[in-house]
Amino acid sequence: MFDIFKSMLKEEWRMHSNLFGNNGFSLFPVFIFLFTFFVSLVLPIFREIFTYAQIALGMHYFFLLLGSMVGAFGLMGREFMNRRFGQASMIAYSSRTLPVSERLIFANFLVKDVVYYFALYVLPFVAGFALAAALIPAGNFHFPFTLLFLLLTLSLSFMIGLSLVFFLSTIYAHSGKLLTLGLLAGCVFLLSISGNLDSGIFYSLPSLSFFLLSSKSQFLLSSGLIIIPSALSLFFLKVDFPQAKKSFPNSFSRLCGKFGSYRYAAFVAKDFLDLKRSEGGFGKLIFSFLLPAALIWMLLSALGKVLPALNILILISLVLGVLSSSMYNWLTEYDIFTSYAFFPLKVSDMIRNKLNSYLFLNLVPFILLILLTLKKDPAFLLPTLLLFLSISLYMVSILIYLTGLSPSINLYNGRTFAVYTLSVMPLLLVNVILSMFGPYYVLVNLLLVPLALYLLGQSFRKWDRIESPRF
Amino acid sequence: MIEVRNIFKFYGSTKAVNDISFSIGKGELFGLLGPNGSGKTTMIRMLTGQIKPTSGSVRVHGVDVLEDPIRVRELAGIVPEQETPPSFLTAEEYLYFVAKIRKMESYEKTCEKWFEFLDFGDQKNSLCKDLSRGTRQKLMFAQAFLHEPELAIIDEPLINLDPVIQRKVKDFLAGYVKNGGTVFISTHILEIAKQICTSIGIIYKGKLVYTGRLDDPTLQRRNFEDFFLDLVSRPGNSGTGLSIPAQYA
Repeated sequence: MFDIFKSMLKEEWRMHSNLFGNNGFSLFPVFIFLFTFFVSLVLPIFREIFTYAQIALGMHYFFLLLGSMVGAFGLMGREFMNRRFGQASMIAYSSRTLPVSERLIFANFLVKDVVYYFALYVLPFVAGFALAAALIPAGNFHFPFTLLFLLLTLSLSFMIGLSLVFFLSTIYAHSGKLLTLGLLAGCVFLLSISGNLDSGIFYSLPSLSFFLLSSKSQFLLSSGLIIIPSALSLFFLKVDFPQAKKSFPNSFSRLCGKFGSYRYAAFVAKDFLDLKRSEGGFGKLIFSFLLPAALIWMLLSALGKVLPALNILILISLVLGVLSSSMYNWLTEYDIFTSYAFFPLKVSDMIRNKLNSYLFLNLVPFILLILLTLKKDPAFLLPTLLLFLSISLYMVSILIYLTGLSPSINLYNGRTFAVYTLSVMPLLLVNVILSMFGPYYVLVNLLLVPLALYLLGQSFRKWDRIESPRF
Repeated sequence: MIEVRNIFKFYGSTKAVNDISFSIGKGELFGLLGPNGSGKTTMIRMLTGQIKPTSGSVRVHGVDVLEDPIRVRELAGIVPEQETPPSFLTAEEYLYFVAKIRKMESYEKTCEKWFEFLDFGDQKNSLCKDLSRGTRQKLMFAQAFLHEPELAIIDEPLINLDPVIQRKVKDFLAGYVKNGGTVFISTHILEIAKQICTSIGIIYKGKLVYTGRLDDPTLQRRNFEDFFLDLVSRPGNSGTGLSIPAQYA
C-alpha cells in the first residue's frame, strides 16, 4: 500500500520536473511563497475595501477551485499526457497490468494528490501569507494561531474540491447522461431558489464557516464532504470512461473557403474547429473568458464607488488585455509541434499561425469593450480600444518569447514565471496610476507596440534555434 | 538520393549516433534495421532536418539538410514514429489540411483514392482522436504520399496494420520503387526488411555495423535472423539479453 503511494509521489514529481525542468519546477513553491508574501504586504489596503470575511471567502473558494482543477486533471488528463509523452502508462491507469485492485490504486492516487499538492500549493501560500501577516497589521489574521487554522481550513477547501470532482467523474464513468441530468437539475434548483438567495449563501461552504466560526459541526460537515464523496467514488469506481465517438461532415473546407486566399486560412480554420469540437466547445469562451470578465467588471464597478479616482473603463480594458492573452494558451493546448515537425514548417511558422488565430479570438474582448464603453461613456472609446490592443499584443509577445508554443507548460517553470510576472506587474501598476490622471495618459502604452513586434521577431529566431528534445 | 557522411549525434555525453556514413541511390528501398533504442529514429529525424547532427553532413535530393531542412520536408513524404494527427479534425479534414500545408491545388480525388486504397473511407468523418492506432497509421501513410513525393522516409511502416493492409502497403512500396521512387524505412522487424528492401543497414548502439544489398551472396548463404543477431550480440556488443532466464531454460 505504502509502496504504491511512494511510487505515485515520485511519478508525479518526475512528471512535473520532466515537463517543467528540474530546477524550474522545484522553484515553483518558492515562487508561490514569495508572490503570496509580497501581495499580502498590501493587505492593509485590501482591508480598506474588503472585510476580513470577504478576504477569507476569496481564499477558500480559490482553494476549492484549485482542488477541483487538480482532481479534473488527474482523472481526465490521460489524453493530455499521451500527447506529451506518447502512450503514457502511469500507475493510476495500470490496474489491468498490476496485481493490485483499481480501488487500492485510486485510494492511493487520491491521498497522493492531497499530500503532493498540499506541499506544492497550500503550504507555500499560507507560509507567504503568514510571514507577511507577522510583519504588517493584518487585522484578524493573527500569527500564529489563526494562520495555522487557515492552513487547516484551506486544506479542507482543497480536499472538498478534489473529492467532489472525483465523485462527479465516477458518476460520469457510469453514465455521462446521468451527470448532465444531475447538473441540469442542480442548476434548475439554484435558479428556482435564486430569488431567496443573498450573498450569505457563499459563506455556507463548510470549510469557510469553520474558519469564521470554528464550530465542531462545521468541521464534521467539511470532513463529511471530503470522506463521503471519496468513499462513494471508491465504492462505485469504474476506470473506463464513456467516450462518444462523433462523426462530422467536412467543415474544414467550408471554413477555408470563407477565408478565401488568406495565408493562414487552413490554420485558423483548424484552430476554430479545435475550439468548437474539444471538451466544453465554445463554452470555454463563456466560462474562461466572458464570465471572469463580467465578474471583474462588477468588482471594478464596486471598486469605482469606493475609489472614485480610478477610471473603470481604462481598468477594464487593461484587465481584458491581460485576460485575452490566456486565449493563446487555449490555442496551443490542442496540438504539439511534434505533429507538424515532419511538414515543411518551422516553429516560427506555427507561432505565426497561432498568432493569427489569437487575433481572430481577440475580436470577442474587442467587441465587448466597444459595447461596455458605448454604454458607460462613448468619449473613452479611442483610449480604451488602443490600450486594450497594446496590452494584449504586449502580453502575448512576452508569453511567446518566454514560453514559445507551450505556455501552459513552460510558465510552470518558477524562473520563467518570475520573469513573466516582473515583465507584466509593474506595467499594470503604472497603468492603474496613469488612469487616475486621465484617459489619454494611457496612450503612452502605444510605445509597447514596437516593443512587442521586436519581441515577436526575437521569439521567432529564439524558438527556431531551440531543438526540442521531444521531436 | 540520400548522402550521409560521418554524422554524430550527442545527447549530453550519450552518443546516439556514432560516425555513420552511407548513401542510397534513386529507386532503392533501403531498410535501417536495429534493436530498440539503437538510433534508428534519431537517424530519421536527422535525415528530415527535425534535429541537427552534432557533426557531419546529410544531403537529401541534393539539398543540404542543415542548410535547408524545410526544402527537404517539402520534397519528401514522411511517416513519423508516432501517429499524432491533430485530435479534433476528422480523417478527411486532416488530409485536406495537409494538402493545404503542402500548397496543393487539387487534392480531393487523391484523398479519396487513399481512403479507398487503405480501406478506411468509412471512417473519414471520424475525429482523429477516435481512430484506432492502425487507422491513424493508415492516415499518416496517406498524408506522406499525398503530394506524390519522389522520396519517402518511413519509421516502422507496418507495425500497427492488419495483414491485408500490410500486403497492400508492401505491394505499393514495391511498385513505387519500380517507378523510380526511393524509400528509406526504419524497422526492427526483420521479416519486413527481408520481404521488401533492396538494401539494408544494421545499426547497433548508434554505430552502423553492416550495410549492403539484400541479394549479396554473403547474406544469401546465411539465415537472416542469425546474421542480424550475430551482429548485435558480438562480444564487443554484449548485453542484448539473448540468454533465456534460468527458470524457463
